[in-house]
Amino acid sequence: MANTNQAREGAWISAAIAPSLILLLIVAYLPILYALSLAFYDKSAFRPDMEWVGLANAEWLLAQKDFWAAMGRSVVFTLGTVGFQLAFGLFFGLLLNQAIAGRSVMRSLVILPYLLPTIVIGLVFRWILNPEFGVVNQLLLSSGLIDRPINFFGGIDAAMPSIIITTGWQYGSFAVLLILARLQSINPRLYEAARSCGAGTWRCFVDVTLPNLRTTLLLIALLRGIWMFNKFDLIWIITQGGPLQATETLPIYIYEIAFRDFDFGRAAAGCVAIFIILLLFSFIYFKFFNPTKEVEVNR
Amino acid sequence: MTREFAWRWMRFLWLAVGMLFVCFPLYWMAVTALTPRTELFRPPYDVIRFSYSLENIRELLSATQFLTFMGNSLIVALGTVVINVMASTLAGYALSRFEFRGKKTFVAATLWTYMFPPILLAIPLYLVFSYIGLRNSYGGLILAHVSISLPLNVWIMWQYFQVVPRSLEEAAWTSGASRLRALIEVLLPSALPGIISAAIFSFALSWNDFAFAFILQTDIAMFTLPVGLATFVEQSAIHWGLIMASSLIVSLPTFALVFFLQRYLMHGFSIGK
Repeated sequence: MANTNQAREGAWISAAIAPSLILLLIVAYLPILYALSLAFYDKSAFRPDMEWVGLANAEWLLAQKDFWAAMGRSVVFTLGTVGFQLAFGLFFGLLLNQAIAGRSVMRSLVILPYLLPTIVIGLVFRWILNPEFGVVNQLLLSSGLIDRPINFFGGIDAAMPSIIITTGWQYGSFAVLLILARLQSINPRLYEAARSCGAGTWRCFVDVTLPNLRTTLLLIALLRGIWMFNKFDLIWIITQGGPLQATETLPIYIYEIAFRDFDFGRAAAGCVAIFIILLLFSFIYFKFFNPTKEVEVNR
Repeated sequence: MTREFAWRWMRFLWLAVGMLFVCFPLYWMAVTALTPRTELFRPPYDVIRFSYSLENIRELLSATQFLTFMGNSLIVALGTVVINVMASTLAGYALSRFEFRGKKTFVAATLWTYMFPPILLAIPLYLVFSYIGLRNSYGGLILAHVSISLPLNVWIMWQYFQVVPRSLEEAAWTSGASRLRALIEVLLPSALPGIISAAIFSFALSWNDFAFAFILQTDIAMFTLPVGLATFVEQSAIHWGLIMASSLIVSLPTFALVFFLQRYLMHGFSIGK
Protein backbone atom coordinates (compact mmCIF):
# COMPACT_ATOMS: atom_id res chain seq x y z
CA MET A 1 0.00 0.00 0.00
CA ALA A 2 2.71 2.44 1.02
CA ASN A 3 4.63 1.45 -2.08
CA THR A 4 1.83 2.12 -4.52
CA ASN A 5 1.20 5.45 -2.79
CA GLN A 6 4.84 6.35 -3.16
CA ALA A 7 4.87 5.29 -6.77
CA ARG A 8 1.75 7.28 -7.44
CA GLU A 9 3.27 10.32 -5.76
CA GLY A 10 6.42 9.88 -7.82
CA ALA A 11 4.35 9.78 -11.00
CA TRP A 12 2.57 12.98 -9.97
CA ILE A 13 5.82 14.76 -9.31
CA SER A 14 7.39 13.77 -12.59
CA ALA A 15 4.28 14.57 -14.61
CA ALA A 16 3.93 18.00 -13.02
CA ILE A 17 7.57 19.03 -13.20
CA ALA A 18 8.26 17.57 -16.64
CA PRO A 19 6.70 20.30 -18.84
CA SER A 20 8.62 23.13 -17.18
CA LEU A 21 11.82 21.13 -16.93
CA ILE A 22 11.76 20.05 -20.58
CA LEU A 23 10.86 23.54 -21.78
CA LEU A 24 13.63 25.16 -19.78
CA LEU A 25 16.08 22.52 -20.99
CA ILE A 26 15.33 23.09 -24.66
CA VAL A 27 14.90 26.86 -24.62
CA ALA A 28 17.42 27.90 -21.96
CA TYR A 29 19.95 25.41 -20.62
CA LEU A 30 20.90 23.55 -23.80
CA PRO A 31 21.14 26.76 -25.86
CA ILE A 32 23.42 28.28 -23.22
CA LEU A 33 25.60 25.19 -23.23
CA TYR A 34 25.67 25.34 -27.01
CA ALA A 35 26.68 29.01 -26.92
CA LEU A 36 29.42 28.34 -24.40
CA SER A 37 30.85 25.40 -26.33
CA LEU A 38 30.70 27.36 -29.59
CA ALA A 39 33.39 29.63 -28.13
CA PHE A 40 35.93 26.88 -28.84
CA TYR A 41 35.00 26.49 -32.49
CA ASP A 42 35.49 28.47 -35.64
CA LYS A 43 31.98 29.01 -36.90
CA SER A 44 31.26 31.82 -39.27
CA ALA A 45 29.21 32.55 -42.36
CA PHE A 46 32.14 31.43 -44.53
CA ARG A 47 32.55 28.18 -42.66
CA PRO A 48 29.24 26.41 -42.12
CA ASP A 49 30.97 23.35 -40.64
CA MET A 50 32.53 23.85 -37.24
CA GLU A 51 36.22 23.45 -36.58
CA TRP A 52 37.76 23.11 -33.12
CA VAL A 53 40.12 26.02 -32.49
CA GLY A 54 40.60 25.78 -28.73
CA LEU A 55 41.21 29.12 -27.09
CA ALA A 56 41.82 31.04 -30.31
CA ASN A 57 38.49 32.92 -30.09
CA ALA A 58 39.09 33.90 -26.48
CA GLU A 59 42.62 35.06 -27.30
CA TRP A 60 41.33 37.07 -30.23
CA LEU A 61 38.64 38.69 -28.10
CA LEU A 62 40.93 39.59 -25.22
CA ALA A 63 43.34 41.23 -27.67
CA GLN A 64 40.64 43.53 -29.08
CA LYS A 65 40.77 47.15 -27.94
CA ASP A 66 37.06 47.41 -28.82
CA PHE A 67 36.21 44.60 -26.41
CA TRP A 68 37.80 46.36 -23.45
CA ALA A 69 36.31 49.70 -24.49
CA ALA A 70 32.86 48.09 -24.67
CA MET A 71 33.44 46.49 -21.27
CA GLY A 72 34.36 49.90 -19.85
CA ARG A 73 31.24 51.49 -21.37
CA SER A 74 29.10 48.73 -19.87
CA VAL A 75 30.56 49.51 -16.45
CA VAL A 76 29.93 53.25 -16.88
CA PHE A 77 26.41 52.60 -18.14
CA THR A 78 25.66 50.17 -15.28
CA LEU A 79 27.03 52.42 -12.52
CA GLY A 80 25.36 55.50 -13.99
CA THR A 81 21.93 54.03 -14.52
CA VAL A 82 21.83 51.98 -11.29
CA GLY A 83 22.94 55.08 -9.35
CA PHE A 84 20.23 57.10 -11.07
CA GLN A 85 17.62 54.44 -10.28
CA LEU A 86 18.60 54.29 -6.60
CA ALA A 87 18.38 58.08 -6.32
CA PHE A 88 15.04 58.08 -8.16
CA GLY A 89 13.77 55.26 -5.93
CA LEU A 90 14.78 57.01 -2.72
CA PHE A 91 13.34 60.32 -3.91
CA PHE A 92 9.89 58.97 -4.76
CA GLY A 93 9.92 56.28 -2.10
CA LEU A 94 10.42 58.80 0.69
CA LEU A 95 7.99 61.34 -0.76
CA LEU A 96 5.25 58.81 -1.47
CA ASN A 97 5.67 57.10 1.89
CA GLN A 98 4.05 60.07 3.60
CA ALA A 99 0.33 60.63 3.62
CA ILE A 100 -0.29 63.00 0.73
CA ALA A 101 -3.32 63.68 -1.42
CA GLY A 102 -3.50 61.62 -4.61
CA ARG A 103 -0.81 59.19 -3.46
CA SER A 104 -2.26 56.07 -5.06
CA VAL A 105 -2.71 57.79 -8.42
CA MET A 106 0.87 59.03 -8.28
CA ARG A 107 2.09 55.58 -7.35
CA SER A 108 0.36 54.13 -10.41
CA LEU A 109 1.88 56.80 -12.63
CA VAL A 110 5.36 56.11 -11.29
CA ILE A 111 5.00 52.38 -12.08
CA LEU A 112 3.88 53.08 -15.65
CA PRO A 113 7.27 53.59 -17.37
CA TYR A 114 8.56 50.31 -16.00
CA LEU A 115 5.80 48.33 -17.69
CA LEU A 116 5.80 50.14 -21.03
CA PRO A 117 7.35 48.28 -23.94
CA THR A 118 10.98 49.29 -24.37
CA ILE A 119 10.32 50.24 -27.98
CA VAL A 120 7.83 52.89 -26.83
CA ILE A 121 10.34 54.40 -24.43
CA GLY A 122 13.06 54.42 -27.06
CA LEU A 123 10.84 56.07 -29.67
CA VAL A 124 9.29 58.61 -27.29
CA PHE A 125 12.69 59.76 -26.05
CA ARG A 126 14.09 59.92 -29.57
CA TRP A 127 11.16 62.16 -30.39
CA ILE A 128 11.18 64.53 -27.42
CA LEU A 129 15.00 64.81 -27.49
CA ASN A 130 15.13 65.20 -31.27
CA PRO A 131 17.56 68.02 -32.20
CA GLU A 132 15.29 69.49 -34.90
CA PHE A 133 11.72 68.90 -33.77
CA GLY A 134 12.20 67.85 -30.15
CA VAL A 135 10.10 69.63 -27.58
CA VAL A 136 12.85 69.56 -24.93
CA ASN A 137 15.22 71.51 -27.14
CA GLN A 138 12.43 73.89 -28.01
CA LEU A 139 11.70 74.56 -24.33
CA LEU A 140 15.38 74.95 -23.46
CA LEU A 141 15.93 77.34 -26.37
CA SER A 142 12.91 79.51 -25.67
CA SER A 143 13.76 79.74 -21.97
CA GLY A 144 17.25 80.91 -22.92
CA LEU A 145 19.08 78.12 -21.10
CA ILE A 146 20.89 77.11 -24.30
CA ASP A 147 21.45 78.98 -27.53
CA ARG A 148 21.99 75.99 -29.81
CA PRO A 149 19.91 72.81 -29.84
CA ILE A 150 21.58 69.87 -28.05
CA ASN A 151 22.01 66.71 -30.09
CA PHE A 152 21.19 64.44 -27.15
CA PHE A 153 21.54 60.98 -28.70
CA GLY A 154 23.63 62.05 -31.67
CA GLY A 155 26.39 63.90 -29.86
CA ILE A 156 29.46 61.92 -28.87
CA ASP A 157 29.58 63.41 -25.38
CA ALA A 158 25.85 63.70 -24.81
CA ALA A 159 24.81 60.21 -26.01
CA MET A 160 25.88 58.15 -22.98
CA PRO A 161 24.39 60.47 -20.32
CA SER A 162 21.17 60.74 -22.36
CA ILE A 163 20.88 56.94 -22.62
CA ILE A 164 21.60 56.60 -18.89
CA ILE A 165 18.81 59.02 -17.99
CA THR A 166 16.37 57.35 -20.40
CA THR A 167 17.11 53.93 -18.92
CA GLY A 168 16.80 55.37 -15.42
CA TRP A 169 13.44 56.82 -16.36
CA GLN A 170 12.24 53.38 -17.46
CA TYR A 171 13.53 51.34 -14.52
CA GLY A 172 13.45 53.81 -11.63
CA SER A 173 9.99 52.66 -10.61
CA PHE A 174 11.32 49.19 -9.78
CA ALA A 175 13.42 50.85 -7.08
CA VAL A 176 10.49 53.03 -5.97
CA LEU A 177 8.29 49.97 -5.42
CA LEU A 178 10.85 47.97 -3.47
CA ILE A 179 11.87 50.96 -1.34
CA LEU A 180 8.26 51.96 -0.68
CA ALA A 181 7.38 48.42 0.40
CA ARG A 182 10.33 48.34 2.76
CA LEU A 183 9.60 51.80 4.20
CA GLN A 184 6.05 50.80 5.00
CA SER A 185 7.25 47.80 6.96
CA ILE A 186 9.52 49.81 9.27
CA ASN A 187 8.10 49.76 12.77
CA PRO A 188 6.76 53.29 13.57
CA ARG A 189 7.89 52.80 17.20
CA LEU A 190 11.48 53.13 15.99
CA TYR A 191 10.72 56.68 14.85
CA GLU A 192 8.88 57.46 18.08
CA ALA A 193 11.86 56.23 20.07
CA ALA A 194 14.26 58.32 17.97
CA ARG A 195 12.09 61.42 18.33
CA SER A 196 11.80 61.02 22.07
CA CYS A 197 15.59 61.04 22.19
CA GLY A 198 15.47 64.40 20.45
CA ALA A 199 16.24 63.32 16.88
CA GLY A 200 15.07 65.64 14.10
CA THR A 201 13.93 64.66 10.61
CA TRP A 202 17.46 64.30 9.30
CA ARG A 203 18.73 62.19 12.22
CA CYS A 204 15.65 59.97 11.97
CA PHE A 205 16.50 59.41 8.31
CA VAL A 206 20.15 58.59 8.97
CA ASP A 207 19.65 56.48 12.09
CA VAL A 208 16.38 54.70 11.38
CA THR A 209 15.44 54.83 7.70
CA LEU A 210 18.80 54.24 6.03
CA PRO A 211 19.89 51.22 8.12
CA ASN A 212 16.50 49.63 7.46
CA LEU A 213 16.82 50.27 3.75
CA ARG A 214 20.34 48.92 3.42
CA THR A 215 19.39 45.41 2.31
CA THR A 216 16.77 46.71 -0.12
CA LEU A 217 19.23 49.13 -1.71
CA LEU A 218 21.79 46.35 -2.05
CA LEU A 219 19.20 44.05 -3.63
CA ILE A 220 18.21 46.71 -6.16
CA ALA A 221 21.84 47.46 -6.98
CA LEU A 222 22.56 43.77 -7.53
CA LEU A 223 19.50 42.77 -9.59
CA ARG A 224 19.44 45.97 -11.62
CA GLY A 225 23.20 45.80 -11.93
CA ILE A 226 23.18 42.47 -13.71
CA TRP A 227 20.26 43.45 -15.96
CA MET A 228 21.70 46.84 -16.82
CA PHE A 229 25.10 45.36 -17.57
CA ASN A 230 23.41 43.19 -20.18
CA LYS A 231 21.00 45.81 -21.50
CA PHE A 232 20.62 45.48 -25.22
CA ASP A 233 17.20 46.54 -26.48
CA LEU A 234 16.92 50.17 -25.37
CA ILE A 235 20.46 51.07 -26.44
CA TRP A 236 19.99 49.39 -29.80
CA ILE A 237 16.63 51.07 -30.41
CA ILE A 238 17.97 54.53 -29.64
CA THR A 239 21.57 54.68 -30.87
CA GLN A 240 22.58 51.21 -32.16
CA GLY A 241 25.80 51.78 -30.23
CA GLY A 242 26.60 55.08 -31.93
CA PRO A 243 27.47 57.86 -32.58
CA LEU A 244 30.78 56.28 -33.57
CA GLN A 245 31.01 53.83 -30.68
CA ALA A 246 29.97 56.17 -27.86
CA THR A 247 27.24 53.87 -26.56
CA GLU A 248 28.59 50.51 -27.73
CA THR A 249 28.30 48.42 -24.56
CA LEU A 250 29.30 44.76 -24.31
CA PRO A 251 26.00 43.22 -25.50
CA ILE A 252 25.93 45.57 -28.51
CA TYR A 253 29.54 44.69 -29.32
CA ILE A 254 28.78 40.96 -29.17
CA TYR A 255 25.62 41.40 -31.24
CA GLU A 256 27.69 43.09 -33.94
CA ILE A 257 30.28 40.31 -34.02
CA ALA A 258 27.48 37.78 -34.40
CA PHE A 259 25.11 39.50 -36.80
CA ARG A 260 27.22 42.03 -38.67
CA ASP A 261 30.41 39.97 -39.05
CA PHE A 262 28.53 36.65 -38.80
CA ASP A 263 31.36 35.26 -36.70
CA PHE A 264 29.48 33.15 -34.19
CA GLY A 265 32.54 31.52 -32.64
CA ARG A 266 34.01 34.85 -31.64
CA ALA A 267 30.60 36.14 -30.53
CA ALA A 268 30.29 33.03 -28.36
CA ALA A 269 33.61 33.90 -26.72
CA GLY A 270 31.93 37.22 -25.84
CA CYS A 271 28.98 35.26 -24.44
CA VAL A 272 31.41 33.40 -22.17
CA ALA A 273 32.64 36.75 -20.84
CA ILE A 274 29.04 37.82 -20.15
CA PHE A 275 28.37 34.44 -18.57
CA ILE A 276 31.30 34.75 -16.17
CA ILE A 277 30.09 38.17 -15.03
CA LEU A 278 26.57 36.74 -14.64
CA LEU A 279 27.97 33.94 -12.45
CA LEU A 280 29.67 36.47 -10.24
CA PHE A 281 26.52 38.55 -9.73
CA SER A 282 24.22 35.57 -9.26
CA PHE A 283 26.60 33.96 -6.77
CA ILE A 284 26.36 37.06 -4.58
CA TYR A 285 22.59 37.22 -5.07
CA PHE A 286 21.93 33.61 -4.08
CA LYS A 287 24.43 33.73 -1.23
CA PHE A 288 23.05 36.83 0.46
CA PHE A 289 19.37 36.86 -0.43
CA ASN A 290 18.48 33.17 -0.44
CA PRO A 291 15.52 33.61 -2.81
CA THR A 292 14.73 29.88 -2.80
CA LYS A 293 13.54 29.68 0.79
CA GLU A 294 9.90 28.79 1.26
CA VAL A 295 7.24 31.29 2.25
CA GLU A 296 6.45 31.17 5.95
CA VAL A 297 2.77 30.45 6.35
CA ASN A 298 0.84 30.84 9.55
CA ARG A 299 -1.48 27.92 9.81
CA MET B 1 4.38 75.77 12.74
CA THR B 2 5.84 77.80 9.90
CA ARG B 3 8.66 75.30 9.60
CA GLU B 4 6.23 72.43 9.34
CA PHE B 5 4.32 74.40 6.72
CA ALA B 6 7.48 75.10 4.72
CA TRP B 7 8.39 71.40 4.78
CA ARG B 8 4.97 70.46 3.48
CA TRP B 9 5.28 72.86 0.56
CA MET B 10 8.81 71.78 -0.21
CA ARG B 11 7.68 68.17 -0.37
CA PHE B 12 4.78 69.08 -2.58
CA LEU B 13 7.03 71.05 -4.91
CA TRP B 14 9.58 68.24 -5.20
CA LEU B 15 6.86 65.72 -5.89
CA ALA B 16 5.45 67.98 -8.60
CA VAL B 17 8.84 68.27 -10.29
CA GLY B 18 9.33 64.50 -10.09
CA MET B 19 5.88 63.76 -11.47
CA LEU B 20 6.48 66.18 -14.32
CA PHE B 21 9.66 64.28 -15.20
CA VAL B 22 7.76 60.97 -15.16
CA CYS B 23 4.63 62.12 -16.96
CA PHE B 24 5.80 64.63 -19.52
CA PRO B 25 7.25 62.12 -22.03
CA LEU B 26 3.98 60.15 -21.96
CA TYR B 27 1.92 63.32 -22.25
CA TRP B 28 3.97 64.40 -25.24
CA MET B 29 3.56 60.99 -26.87
CA ALA B 30 -0.22 61.31 -26.61
CA VAL B 31 -0.23 64.92 -27.82
CA THR B 32 1.95 64.13 -30.83
CA ALA B 33 -0.15 61.09 -31.70
CA LEU B 34 -3.23 63.31 -31.88
CA THR B 35 -1.66 66.21 -33.79
CA PRO B 36 -2.26 66.31 -37.55
CA ARG B 37 0.82 65.99 -39.75
CA THR B 38 0.65 69.52 -41.16
CA GLU B 39 1.06 71.04 -37.70
CA LEU B 40 3.84 68.62 -36.77
CA PHE B 41 6.17 70.08 -39.35
CA ARG B 42 5.73 73.61 -38.06
CA PRO B 43 7.61 73.97 -34.80
CA PRO B 44 7.59 75.65 -32.32
CA TYR B 45 4.78 73.69 -30.73
CA ASP B 46 2.40 74.85 -28.05
CA VAL B 47 3.11 72.65 -25.06
CA ILE B 48 -0.49 72.82 -23.94
CA ARG B 49 -2.92 72.31 -26.77
CA PHE B 50 -6.63 71.92 -27.21
CA SER B 51 -7.26 70.82 -30.79
CA TYR B 52 -6.78 67.19 -31.59
CA SER B 53 -7.47 64.90 -34.53
CA LEU B 54 -7.50 61.18 -35.18
CA GLU B 55 -5.84 61.62 -38.58
CA ASN B 56 -2.63 59.81 -37.53
CA ILE B 57 -4.43 56.82 -36.11
CA ARG B 58 -6.56 56.49 -39.22
CA GLU B 59 -3.49 56.69 -41.46
CA LEU B 60 -1.62 54.22 -39.25
CA LEU B 61 -4.33 51.59 -39.57
CA SER B 62 -4.92 52.05 -43.30
CA ALA B 63 -1.53 52.93 -44.83
CA THR B 64 1.01 50.95 -42.77
CA GLN B 65 1.57 47.35 -41.75
CA PHE B 66 0.60 48.15 -38.18
CA LEU B 67 -2.27 45.66 -38.09
CA THR B 68 -0.09 42.83 -39.44
CA PHE B 69 2.45 43.47 -36.69
CA MET B 70 -0.31 43.63 -34.11
CA GLY B 71 -1.72 40.29 -35.25
CA ASN B 72 1.71 38.69 -34.97
CA SER B 73 2.23 40.20 -31.53
CA LEU B 74 -1.13 38.91 -30.31
CA ILE B 75 -0.59 35.36 -31.63
CA VAL B 76 2.86 35.11 -30.06
CA ALA B 77 1.74 36.64 -26.75
CA LEU B 78 -1.27 34.33 -26.46
CA GLY B 79 0.84 31.27 -27.26
CA THR B 80 3.33 32.34 -24.61
CA VAL B 81 0.54 32.80 -22.07
CA VAL B 82 -1.02 29.37 -22.71
CA ILE B 83 2.26 27.46 -22.44
CA ASN B 84 3.34 29.44 -19.38
CA VAL B 85 0.12 29.05 -17.46
CA MET B 86 -0.06 25.29 -18.00
CA ALA B 87 3.58 24.52 -17.29
CA SER B 88 4.00 26.89 -14.35
CA THR B 89 0.77 25.88 -12.60
CA LEU B 90 1.78 22.22 -12.69
CA ALA B 91 5.33 22.98 -11.56
CA GLY B 92 4.12 25.28 -8.79
CA TYR B 93 1.76 22.56 -7.57
CA ALA B 94 4.46 19.89 -7.47
CA LEU B 95 6.96 22.18 -5.78
CA SER B 96 4.55 23.25 -3.05
CA ARG B 97 2.89 19.90 -2.32
CA PHE B 98 5.66 17.31 -2.59
CA GLU B 99 9.10 16.80 -1.17
CA PHE B 100 11.58 15.34 -3.62
CA ARG B 101 15.24 15.15 -4.35
CA GLY B 102 16.64 18.05 -6.36
CA LYS B 103 13.72 20.35 -5.52
CA LYS B 104 15.92 23.12 -4.21
CA THR B 105 18.25 22.78 -7.18
CA PHE B 106 15.31 23.02 -9.57
CA VAL B 107 14.02 26.21 -7.94
CA ALA B 108 17.48 27.77 -7.84
CA ALA B 109 18.18 26.83 -11.47
CA THR B 110 14.83 28.23 -12.54
CA LEU B 111 15.36 31.53 -10.77
CA TRP B 112 18.86 31.70 -12.14
CA THR B 113 17.53 31.37 -15.70
CA TYR B 114 15.61 34.55 -15.05
CA MET B 115 18.89 36.43 -14.86
CA PHE B 116 20.11 35.23 -18.28
CA PRO B 117 20.70 38.15 -20.62
CA PRO B 118 18.75 37.99 -23.91
CA ILE B 119 21.86 38.18 -26.07
CA LEU B 120 23.26 35.06 -24.38
CA LEU B 121 20.11 33.10 -25.30
CA ALA B 122 19.34 34.74 -28.61
CA ILE B 123 22.58 33.79 -30.39
CA PRO B 124 22.27 30.02 -29.82
CA LEU B 125 18.50 30.10 -30.43
CA TYR B 126 19.11 31.91 -33.73
CA LEU B 127 21.56 29.20 -34.84
CA VAL B 128 19.41 26.26 -33.69
CA PHE B 129 16.20 27.75 -35.08
CA SER B 130 17.91 28.47 -38.42
CA TYR B 131 18.98 24.86 -38.53
CA ILE B 132 15.56 23.35 -37.79
CA GLY B 133 13.57 26.00 -39.66
CA LEU B 134 11.91 27.68 -36.68
CA ARG B 135 13.19 31.15 -37.50
CA ASN B 136 10.47 33.50 -38.74
CA SER B 137 7.81 31.27 -37.23
CA TYR B 138 5.32 31.88 -34.43
CA GLY B 139 6.38 28.68 -32.65
CA GLY B 140 10.03 29.68 -32.50
CA LEU B 141 9.35 33.12 -31.08
CA ILE B 142 6.86 31.67 -28.58
CA LEU B 143 9.54 29.24 -27.37
CA ALA B 144 12.03 32.10 -27.04
CA HIS B 145 9.52 34.11 -25.01
CA VAL B 146 8.85 31.10 -22.80
CA SER B 147 12.55 31.05 -21.97
CA ILE B 148 12.33 34.54 -20.46
CA SER B 149 8.91 34.25 -18.81
CA LEU B 150 8.60 30.67 -17.53
CA PRO B 151 11.23 31.00 -14.76
CA LEU B 152 9.42 33.92 -13.15
CA ASN B 153 6.05 32.22 -13.50
CA VAL B 154 7.21 28.96 -11.92
CA TRP B 155 8.41 31.08 -9.03
CA ILE B 156 5.12 33.03 -8.78
CA MET B 157 3.04 29.84 -8.84
CA TRP B 158 5.27 28.11 -6.32
CA GLN B 159 4.96 31.05 -3.94
CA TYR B 160 1.24 31.22 -4.57
CA PHE B 161 0.44 27.55 -3.94
CA GLN B 162 2.34 27.74 -0.66
CA VAL B 163 -0.16 30.27 0.62
CA VAL B 164 -3.20 28.16 -0.35
CA PRO B 165 -3.84 26.02 2.76
CA ARG B 166 -3.40 22.29 2.39
CA SER B 167 -6.49 21.69 4.52
CA LEU B 168 -8.70 22.70 1.57
CA GLU B 169 -7.33 19.90 -0.53
CA GLU B 170 -7.31 17.39 2.31
CA ALA B 171 -10.98 18.09 3.00
CA ALA B 172 -11.73 17.22 -0.63
CA TRP B 173 -9.74 13.98 -0.36
CA THR B 174 -11.61 12.82 2.74
CA SER B 175 -14.87 13.35 0.92
CA GLY B 176 -13.58 10.95 -1.70
CA ALA B 177 -12.15 13.21 -4.42
CA SER B 178 -9.05 12.01 -6.25
CA ARG B 179 -5.86 14.08 -6.23
CA LEU B 180 -6.59 15.30 -9.77
CA ARG B 181 -10.17 16.32 -8.94
CA ALA B 182 -9.05 18.05 -5.77
CA LEU B 183 -6.47 19.94 -7.81
CA ILE B 184 -8.90 21.01 -10.50
CA GLU B 185 -11.98 21.72 -8.41
CA VAL B 186 -10.53 22.99 -5.15
CA LEU B 187 -6.97 24.13 -5.59
CA LEU B 188 -7.08 25.86 -8.98
CA PRO B 189 -9.98 28.18 -8.09
CA SER B 190 -8.21 29.34 -4.94
CA ALA B 191 -4.96 29.77 -6.85
CA LEU B 192 -6.70 31.82 -9.57
CA PRO B 193 -5.13 35.18 -8.59
CA GLY B 194 -1.70 33.57 -8.93
CA ILE B 195 -2.62 32.11 -12.31
CA ILE B 196 -3.87 35.50 -13.49
CA SER B 197 -0.61 37.15 -12.38
CA ALA B 198 1.35 34.53 -14.27
CA ALA B 199 -0.79 35.09 -17.37
CA ILE B 200 -0.37 38.88 -17.17
CA PHE B 201 3.36 38.61 -16.76
CA SER B 202 3.75 36.21 -19.66
CA PHE B 203 1.66 38.47 -21.85
CA ALA B 204 3.59 41.58 -20.84
CA LEU B 205 7.02 40.02 -21.35
CA SER B 206 6.06 38.69 -24.77
CA TRP B 207 4.23 41.85 -25.87
CA ASN B 208 7.16 44.05 -24.77
CA ASP B 209 10.03 41.92 -26.03
CA PHE B 210 12.26 43.54 -28.60
CA ALA B 211 15.55 41.60 -28.49
CA PHE B 212 14.32 38.09 -29.38
CA ALA B 213 11.83 39.21 -32.00
CA PHE B 214 14.47 41.47 -33.54
CA ILE B 215 17.06 38.69 -33.79
CA LEU B 216 14.79 35.75 -34.68
CA GLN B 217 12.25 37.36 -37.04
CA THR B 218 13.96 38.68 -40.16
CA ASP B 219 10.96 38.53 -42.49
CA ILE B 220 8.86 41.70 -42.21
CA ALA B 221 5.64 39.72 -42.51
CA MET B 222 6.54 37.99 -39.22
CA PHE B 223 7.56 41.12 -37.28
CA THR B 224 5.91 41.80 -33.95
CA LEU B 225 4.92 45.34 -32.99
CA PRO B 226 8.19 46.37 -31.27
CA VAL B 227 10.33 45.29 -34.23
CA GLY B 228 7.85 46.67 -36.74
CA LEU B 229 7.79 50.04 -35.00
CA ALA B 230 11.58 50.19 -35.02
CA THR B 231 11.48 50.03 -38.83
CA PHE B 232 9.03 52.96 -38.95
CA VAL B 233 11.81 55.35 -37.89
CA GLU B 234 13.87 54.39 -40.95
CA GLN B 235 11.00 54.83 -43.42
CA SER B 236 10.86 58.38 -44.73
CA ALA B 237 7.16 58.12 -45.55
CA ILE B 238 6.35 57.56 -41.89
CA HIS B 239 6.43 60.70 -39.79
CA TRP B 240 6.63 61.17 -36.02
CA GLY B 241 2.87 61.61 -35.70
CA LEU B 242 2.40 58.06 -36.95
CA ILE B 243 5.24 56.74 -34.81
CA MET B 244 3.78 58.28 -31.66
CA ALA B 245 0.29 57.08 -32.59
CA SER B 246 1.60 53.53 -32.86
CA SER B 247 3.54 53.92 -29.60
CA LEU B 248 0.35 55.05 -27.92
CA ILE B 249 -1.59 52.03 -29.16
CA VAL B 250 1.19 49.61 -28.17
CA SER B 251 1.12 51.11 -24.66
CA LEU B 252 -2.62 50.61 -24.18
CA PRO B 253 -2.34 47.15 -22.57
CA THR B 254 0.14 48.64 -20.09
CA PHE B 255 -2.22 51.46 -19.19
CA ALA B 256 -5.02 48.94 -18.69
CA LEU B 257 -2.76 46.80 -16.54
CA VAL B 258 -1.66 49.60 -14.27
CA PHE B 259 -5.09 51.03 -13.69
CA PHE B 260 -7.24 47.92 -13.48
CA LEU B 261 -5.04 45.06 -12.43
CA GLN B 262 -2.56 46.49 -9.96
CA ARG B 263 -3.46 43.89 -7.35
CA TYR B 264 -2.30 41.02 -9.55
CA LEU B 265 0.71 42.90 -10.71
CA MET B 266 2.18 43.17 -7.25
CA HIS B 267 2.76 39.41 -6.99
CA GLY B 268 5.41 39.53 -9.62
CA PHE B 269 6.97 42.70 -8.36
CA SER B 270 8.59 41.16 -5.34
CA ILE B 271 11.19 39.89 -7.83
CA GLY B 272 10.14 41.60 -11.09
CA LYS B 273 12.46 42.16 -14.00
